[in-house]
Amino acid sequence: MKNNHDTGHRGLFRTVALISAVFAMVMCVLIVVNYIQVKRTDPLNTPVMKALVERLQGNPGDDQLRQQIRELDLLARKAFFTTQWQVRMGGYLLFFSLLIAVICLKYLEMREKPVPEAPQGEKTDFWNDRNINRSWVAYTGIGIVVLALVLGTLTHLELGKRLEPAGLLMGGNNATFNAGNANNAGNADNADSGKRRVAVAVVTEGYPSAQEINANFASFRGPGGDGIALKQNTPTSWDGKGMKNILWKTEVPLPGFNSPIIWNDRVFLTGASETTREVYCFDLNSGKIIWKFPVDKIQGTPAKAPVVNKETGQCAPTMTTDGRRVYAIFANGDLIALDMDGKKVWAKNLGLPANHYGHSSSLVMYHDLLIIQYDQRGAGCVMALSGKTGEVAWKTSRNVRISWASPILVNTGSRMELILVADPLVASYNPADGKELWKMECISGEVGPSVAYADGVVFSVNDYAKLAAVEIGDPPKLLWEDNEYLSDIPSPLATGKYLFLATSYGTVVCYDARKGTKYWVHEYDTPIYASPILANGKVYLLDKKGVMHIVKADQTYAVVGEPQLGEGSVCTPAFASGRIVIRGDKSLFCIGKP
Amino acid sequence: MKKIRVIFIFVVLLSLQFMNAYGVQRFPKPDFESGYLQPETLQPSARAGLLAIMDVSVLALALALVSWLVLKKRSRTGVFWTSVFSLAYFGFYRQGCVCSIGAIQNVTLALFDKSYVIPLAVLAFFILPLVFTLFFGRTFCAGVCPFGAMQDLVSFRPQKPDPRLNAVLGMMPYIYLGLAVLYAATGSDFIICRYDPFVGIFRFNASFGMLIFSGTLLVSGIFIARPYCRYLCPYGVLLNWASRFSWRHLTITPDKCIQCRLCEESCPYDAIDIPVVDLNPEGRSVTARKLILVSLLVPFFIVLGGWTGSRLHETLAGVNGKVRLAKILLEPERYRDQPEPFEVTAYKSSGKPLTVVYDEAAGVLRRFYTGGWLLGCFIGLVFGMILAGRLLTRYSTDYTPNKGACFSCARCVDYCPVEKNGTKEVKP
Repeated sequence: MKNNHDTGHRGLFRTVALISAVFAMVMCVLIVVNYIQVKRTDPLNTPVMKALVERLQGNPGDDQLRQQIRELDLLARKAFFTTQWQVRMGGYLLFFSLLIAVICLKYLEMREKPVPEAPQGEKTDFWNDRNINRSWVAYTGIGIVVLALVLGTLTHLELGKRLEPAGLLMGGNNATFNAGNANNAGNADNADSGKRRVAVAVVTEGYPSAQEINANFASFRGPGGDGIALKQNTPTSWDGKGMKNILWKTEVPLPGFNSPIIWNDRVFLTGASETTREVYCFDLNSGKIIWKFPVDKIQGTPAKAPVVNKETGQCAPTMTTDGRRVYAIFANGDLIALDMDGKKVWAKNLGLPANHYGHSSSLVMYHDLLIIQYDQRGAGCVMALSGKTGEVAWKTSRNVRISWASPILVNTGSRMELILVADPLVASYNPADGKELWKMECISGEVGPSVAYADGVVFSVNDYAKLAAVEIGDPPKLLWEDNEYLSDIPSPLATGKYLFLATSYGTVVCYDARKGTKYWVHEYDTPIYASPILANGKVYLLDKKGVMHIVKADQTYAVVGEPQLGEGSVCTPAFASGRIVIRGDKSLFCIGKP
Repeated sequence: MKKIRVIFIFVVLLSLQFMNAYGVQRFPKPDFESGYLQPETLQPSARAGLLAIMDVSVLALALALVSWLVLKKRSRTGVFWTSVFSLAYFGFYRQGCVCSIGAIQNVTLALFDKSYVIPLAVLAFFILPLVFTLFFGRTFCAGVCPFGAMQDLVSFRPQKPDPRLNAVLGMMPYIYLGLAVLYAATGSDFIICRYDPFVGIFRFNASFGMLIFSGTLLVSGIFIARPYCRYLCPYGVLLNWASRFSWRHLTITPDKCIQCRLCEESCPYDAIDIPVVDLNPEGRSVTARKLILVSLLVPFFIVLGGWTGSRLHETLAGVNGKVRLAKILLEPERYRDQPEPFEVTAYKSSGKPLTVVYDEAAGVLRRFYTGGWLLGCFIGLVFGMILAGRLLTRYSTDYTPNKGACFSCARCVDYCPVEKNGTKEVKP
């Protein structure tokens, strides 16, 4: 009786298991079909819907058609989500039917446990099995190696070799489809990834002699960027409002805080708004705009101008020139080379710099290499591009924070050095190949002022940090430091004997360059943003209201003159023989005796 | 009366809980003229800490219980029901996370990324099963791992797999382990979690592809017991190594083996070492020569594996998001006719310079190059050791569990007619 009852139980469980299994299988098929259906249909892009939308575009005032589209759209969405719900519910049903089947089968398995039986016949041939296993382990090993090699060969793209130089050659955060340059990346012939420095052979061309450079004012703060204008007979008296000793005054079309540069009888600067960027060439003699070039249509230029500080603007970096071409860079990473007649030679976007105030490091030339300090968040670097082609000659990564300072080029007597400053260090590089020569950690914060240099000593300064005098060498030596007066915008100016430090709160200090003792301190009422320039034994300090404080470069404070521009200015003046070119808030002034 | 009072107090206390309903913001959030938007109020997961403690406690208790059931009680039924509980708790209730298998990646990431702090619960999930295995064998696999439990449930008609299949698939867990460690160490991906075949079932949200994968595993599991555990599980590799040195491991017979052969077919995992008494027919000297040759070749296998791995590093690095993005940006023409990939859209909105993307991707590639070498060396070493292992023979007269491969499920125990101090009768 009990056996019959037991058999009945088992039969019931077997039947339930069978029904559940069949049900699960049906559900499985339905889910697969439903899934394929969902995958194949795109409810919002059916031909009917497209046709209706096209009709509506032709007749936008047809409200009935609009309503019809809405209803169709709603239906399509309902159908889509219903199908999804069906898949989800199907999944639950599948799971629970399988669960029931498993429970039933487990029950049966436990009830129908077979009596253990010794295997009939011969024992397993251990040695044979193991030999087979061993052989197949060997085959598997060989198979894995072959498969890996085939896969590796088929999919190997030399990505590493392409990526490193591509990081240099391509630009533009939006330059997603800039394939041409990426292919050029393969031309890199020397990628020293370990030192994070890359050098590439580039086309070279002639470059100006030292005499030519010194005769001009080809970059921010003069030749080499050290704030020394090798000019005589510089004006000391003028009046902008009364146009006394003002040779000409020309309004600059677009605003900008970059300073003018001068090459022979031409003055260059840039202007930009959020939508327009332009390069201007002025005639030094007449002040007329000889040409202007709109900087646009550069591959990789971000669609929107970067958000920048209003005191930095979209074109804070000063241009540079080698007398063959002029070069300009903008806050969005656009870099352009134009010939002296305003024709584009090459242009590229270096990638939107991650810089919350806006990129402001000015350009400088070394021979035929255009040097760019591109210290941005997480990816600081300095690089040199061929002036002729824009190809990257070298790039050196820098483990520094964002910097707003500009590079300077100095002749130490034994070699040329490119000196850069950024939190946390002052570092020197060989301008020919980008190799780091020395560095010293002596600065911090958001560094704005560039370094000054004279007689083997580099001076770095930043607000909330310190003023440091570093004797160059390997290793460099800290001569002295001070933190009483600090600058956050104007760069210091060094002569062999003195260091002049102007601050944005209007105080100017003269130090003994070797010892750091203060000779004099003078407080002006007006902030000073322009960097001081030494010319003809005098220091030219332009304050924000446009008053030029001309003092003797001496250990005693002696005013030579305080002429007024008649317009505010934050730009550093450029010097030509017997003339000074100053960019005011709106106009460009040329000062000199008529 | 007293009962009514108790109920009344209980109801009052319960109604106090409704006070929480008044815990809403009483004043509207201010509107900022600057356009600042108030962030969404996040509801902290208040139970997370408690659940983590509970998870670790349940894990420890389950491990202790299964170890006791296996070694002391020698109860297959007990192990089975514990595994059902583990499946319900760790699988369906805790939705397969955290799990010891995936914890490998957290531990690896913690070792290679200083900024990553591994949660203690995850560390416990990684360590506890290993410690228990060192003492008692793979009792974790037997009744605590929800993956194993799920596969065990469907193992209705297990067949002894062909030695060739064992040889081919036996290498897979090592490769999977190596890849999982490589991807975690490079911060690329947690592939064990991404390709977890069962977590989608636990959460009822499996993608179609994963459903096919898990379905295939479960259906094949009807005939090949625990396919994931034997041919894929990376944690199983570590447990296998630990189990070889286990202090007390499950034995088939509690006393002396009577050579009845009843247990010979009992293990669905082919984890019983059968007695080997006959000498190797190929002769000792031949085997010795082969062993020496393989031992000498192990360094070669390591170098070959490393070199092969290094050749594969770009392919391997393709999983990394930074490399994938850089590849798309480098080869835009390949994607021109396709909708813009999500990563490109995200990158564009980030404002990140292209140079940074390439530099980062190049850095990842360099790490993968080193990682490729190490992965290849590891696989080469494993291959050499397995091959050498196949040449070594441990002669024995008894049926014993293979300590490395045995899941300590205690199936074989039910088949053994020997009692501790005599012979038991097997009831039909």
